[in-house]
Amino acid sequence: MANLTRFNLRDKGADIWAGWSRLVRTIFVLGFIVLMGLLPFAAAWGPTSFLNTPITSFQNVLVYPVGMFILMALGLNIVVGKSGLLDLGYVAFFAIGAYTQGILSTLYGWNTWEIMPFGIAFAMLAGVILGLPALRLRGDYLAIITLGFGEIIRIVAINLSITGGPNGIPGIPNPPSIFGLKFDLMHPQIYFWLVLAMILLVVWMVRRFTIRRPGRAWEAIRQDEDVAALMGVNTLVYKLWSFVIGAAVGGAAGVLYASKVAVISPDMFKFDVSILILACVVFGGIGNIWGVIMGAAILAYLPERIRFISEARQLVFGAVLILMMNLRPDGLLPRKKREKITEKRSTNV
Amino acid sequence: MNKKIVSGLAIAAAATLAFGVVATAPANAAAKKTVTLAFQGPLTGGDAQLGQDQIPGAIYAIALYNAKNPAVKVELIKADSQCDGTVAANIAPGVAANKAVIGVVGTSCSGEARNSFPAYRAAGLTMIAPSASAVSLTDPKAPDRGFPIFHRVVAHDGFQAPALARYAAKGVTAPKYYVIDDMTTYGGPLAKGTLATAKKLGTVVGTDSVAKGTADYTSVASKVKASGANVVIYGGYTTDAAKLFKALRDGGYTGILASGDGTNTSDFPGLAGKAAEGVRLTAADVPFDKILTAAQLAEFTKITGVKVPGLYSTTAFNATNIFLDCISQGKLTRPAIQLCVNSGSFKGVGGDVIKFNRYGDIIGGAPVGGYLVKNGVIIYDAVA
Amino acid sequence: MWPLPFGGVATLHNTLDLNRSVDMNFSVVTSQFWSLVLQGLALGLIYALVSLGYTMVYGVLRLINFANSEVFMFGTFATLYIEVHFLGYGINAPSLHGFKLVYTLAFALLASMLACAILAIIVELVAYRRLRARGANRLASLISAIGVSIFLLEGMRIITISRPMTTPRLLDKWSFGEFHGANFRIDTVMTIIAPIVIFVVLDQFVNRSRLGKSIRAVSMSEENSKLMGININRVITLTFCIGGLTTGAAAFLYTTVYENTIFNVGFNMGIAAFTAAVLGGIGNLRGAFYGGIALGLLEQFASAMLGSQWKAVTVFTVLVAVLLFKPNGLFGEAVQQTRT
Repeated sequence: MANLTRFNLRDKGADIWAGWSRLVRTIFVLGFIVLMGLLPFAAAWGPTSFLNTPITSFQNVLVYPVGMFILMALGLNIVVGKSGLLDLGYVAFFAIGAYTQGILSTLYGWNTWEIMPFGIAFAMLAGVILGLPALRLRGDYLAIITLGFGEIIRIVAINLSITGGPNGIPGIPNPPSIFGLKFDLMHPQIYFWLVLAMILLVVWMVRRFTIRRPGRAWEAIRQDEDVAALMGVNTLVYKLWSFVIGAAVGGAAGVLYASKVAVISPDMFKFDVSILILACVVFGGIGNIWGVIMGAAILAYLPERIRFISEARQLVFGAVLILMMNLRPDGLLPRKKREKITEKRSTNV
Repeated sequence: MNKKIVSGLAIAAAATLAFGVVATAPANAAAKKTVTLAFQGPLTGGDAQLGQDQIPGAIYAIALYNAKNPAVKVELIKADSQCDGTVAANIAPGVAANKAVIGVVGTSCSGEARNSFPAYRAAGLTMIAPSASAVSLTDPKAPDRGFPIFHRVVAHDGFQAPALARYAAKGVTAPKYYVIDDMTTYGGPLAKGTLATAKKLGTVVGTDSVAKGTADYTSVASKVKASGANVVIYGGYTTDAAKLFKALRDGGYTGILASGDGTNTSDFPGLAGKAAEGVRLTAADVPFDKILTAAQLAEFTKITGVKVPGLYSTTAFNATNIFLDCISQGKLTRPAIQLCVNSGSFKGVGGDVIKFNRYGDIIGGAPVGGYLVKNGVIIYDAVA
Repeated sequence: MWPLPFGGVATLHNTLDLNRSVDMNFSVVTSQFWSLVLQGLALGLIYALVSLGYTMVYGVLRLINFANSEVFMFGTFATLYIEVHFLGYGINAPSLHGFKLVYTLAFALLASMLACAILAIIVELVAYRRLRARGANRLASLISAIGVSIFLLEGMRIITISRPMTTPRLLDKWSFGEFHGANFRIDTVMTIIAPIVIFVVLDQFVNRSRLGKSIRAVSMSEENSKLMGININRVITLTFCIGGLTTGAAAFLYTTVYENTIFNVGFNMGIAAFTAAVLGGIGNLRGAFYGGIALGLLEQFASAMLGSQWKAVTVFTVLVAVLLFKPNGLFGEAVQQTRT
């Protein structure tokens, strides 16, 4: 038991990683990426066919929810994990991205690649507008404001006609092909590769940020905001940055999602999605990107995999959350030991 | 409990979940004598009753067929898309990928239909819906139309909404309408659709939109009362309709209450209690038990375990029967089924002729029935 | 971002083609003022009772008790079970009168409170205690509480087959009379008086009694309370128990007034109550009371003036505005107490 709960795969993994030479690292990373790229075919290949999901199509599940959730969880991890801000309305940015794609493509005929920068920009803009007032508040007040923001975006989408009201926007075109890879519904693996590329991009971005100035500032803010401010960190600016970068990732995921499903409606952007993504982050291990990826993959995949017990599916999901949190409160792959705040009572996240 | 046991159990549970029983039924496409139909609709979730009411109609139709046709057996798989577009967007590609499935009975809700179209269209899989009634699904100009794979054996809201406005004001000389909707894909457009007819027949003194799941309807009740309306039309589902109508009656409103097929479920009179009395409901459906003979009804109960067929059992039965007709003609592939459904002429259980137009609606339109709540029971009144 | 839903500018209206335009209706404020106030109070006080489940727990643990919405849901079903199955009043049972009415309702109220209190204590044991003992981070507790919430929600959904349920009208809705259009119905009056009584009792308990003082001590500093010999676990259990009791009372009032429930009834109530707690200043008993009332009034007036579809937007806009000027809510505690 003690071994199970104290075993820190993250630290162990980091030790092994540190022992490798540059060449071995490169080969490992490339091999891993190729392996992931082959994942859509896992369901059809004998030895890995146990991965197949009943009723739903495995390749589609890999794109949404699995791929999208990993992407969004990585984005939310910048906010929650890196700088310690509790955001309960992350789905709002996803919705903004999706509606940007929906409106610009159906009204002005732009394609996904042209819309992508705008989707990201609008999500970032929303992040600034929400963040400027909200980030002055601490902890749980931020939680309720972000929660409210998520609901406001959804209700506004229901109430306006440019967003199609409760019907949403149908007939969103798929992205045009790149490098001869055609994006259509019969080839979900192409989408998966696109999502995979975006995940890799975000991972790279987060790693860059983490070791540079913003990463250190976020870390300081997370550990103790007052001390960070005293040490000369402009806390509001850096909190806003983490918020806005998280929003950008959410917006990008939204643009991609809308172009994949072709029909979006407000009921896809409910509070549950925000909660589920937060659960992914915490389940996997707050602040550790590999943990977050693993957590999101499991929590997105599990309900689809156990669809055959459709009645009790969510019941089991709830039980898994309780059990996991009780057994491994720091998540599957916890963050580095030195990054953990020395626990007094009621630590700030 | 011992810690070791607890953690052991946890690991065992996790392992079972991750790699446990594989209940996939990758029905073999090579098998010659069995074909599969899929029923897609809400079987769990908040709107489960809608699908649970319909599926017995499909099961009954298939049981009758299998008893008569030993050569080609038909199986039914359930695709539970929970009346939720997001879920449907994932379910549909899965059903489409299952090569054994040659037709889809469904969907029950309009939202899930729209999200299923892209996958089914790409796979050439024909759908016949028992109850998805949004106008745009068969509108030649709408971007989310289901052409060419979508068909439905139910009158769409373009018929139902005006009929609802007419039926609600039946016998009222100068109706003053108050129209309320629940901000959903179903309720919003239905309520909006009644406005034109309402303006023709009388005046619209007010509108409001209250999100589904709201607890308190008293402020709406006061507004309605203050407006002097005498006909209230609600576009929404049973639970909220019951709450709204109760609040209206308790608030002293004495006029007519009316709602569409979302409210027309067997639960409604019980939920709304006294406020349900005299409520006018519409549905694009004729009750199944009114059509079946006593012997057939007993057989229905024996096969499905359901005593009184629910709403849209008739349309679900009809939808399934159209597929079965084609199958008995030897059409066992997706393109053959599609051609057969598109061009064939079929017989509904009530003796009516079903033939689809180019965009999937029954030519001549399906009738909209008007229902009344009397002594706690919904009874069929007249064609609305 | 904001397409100015409140804008009266005609051009803006046309370009955006608002699907549900806002018909600002100020006349209702004068014509229905007292009616809206009365209904707002009744609704707000139910919110206030539920928000105690959040605010009490937040006070001592600094954690959002996400499972409280499901405790509320459980209470509505407990009330329903007691009335329909235990006492045997069918759906069409006639309304009760006199002494029988009082003790039937009192019994249902107590049963609901008790059921919710027990459930809240179980929630604490399952979702919080073990994690707290290990000094886990706050988000882990949040997620395990969400896990409990999903588990309870789905359990009830499976048990009730997703069906809405209804209680008989045991309390006939007779009216004391009207005052400027405000209808003083018995159920409205009851939902105003009962929570006020509960609040007064609770306020006295927390401020006067030994146990109440220990709750306040723990909420100020857990370490110091430990040093003073307070049994922390017992205090926390007591806090959850009190939150459960008040949530149970709210569930009873809800079921009696609205006469129906469904497995997901807790969701909207939970969000509203949490908002009320934050509006008043979370962690603060009186804040929950006034926050609930403020929210109830706000919802009623927003629905009447702007249309119900803008209710939630108005509520959150006001919430943001309040928090900007009073970062700890209307009746929030001093900043140095919010952190330890």
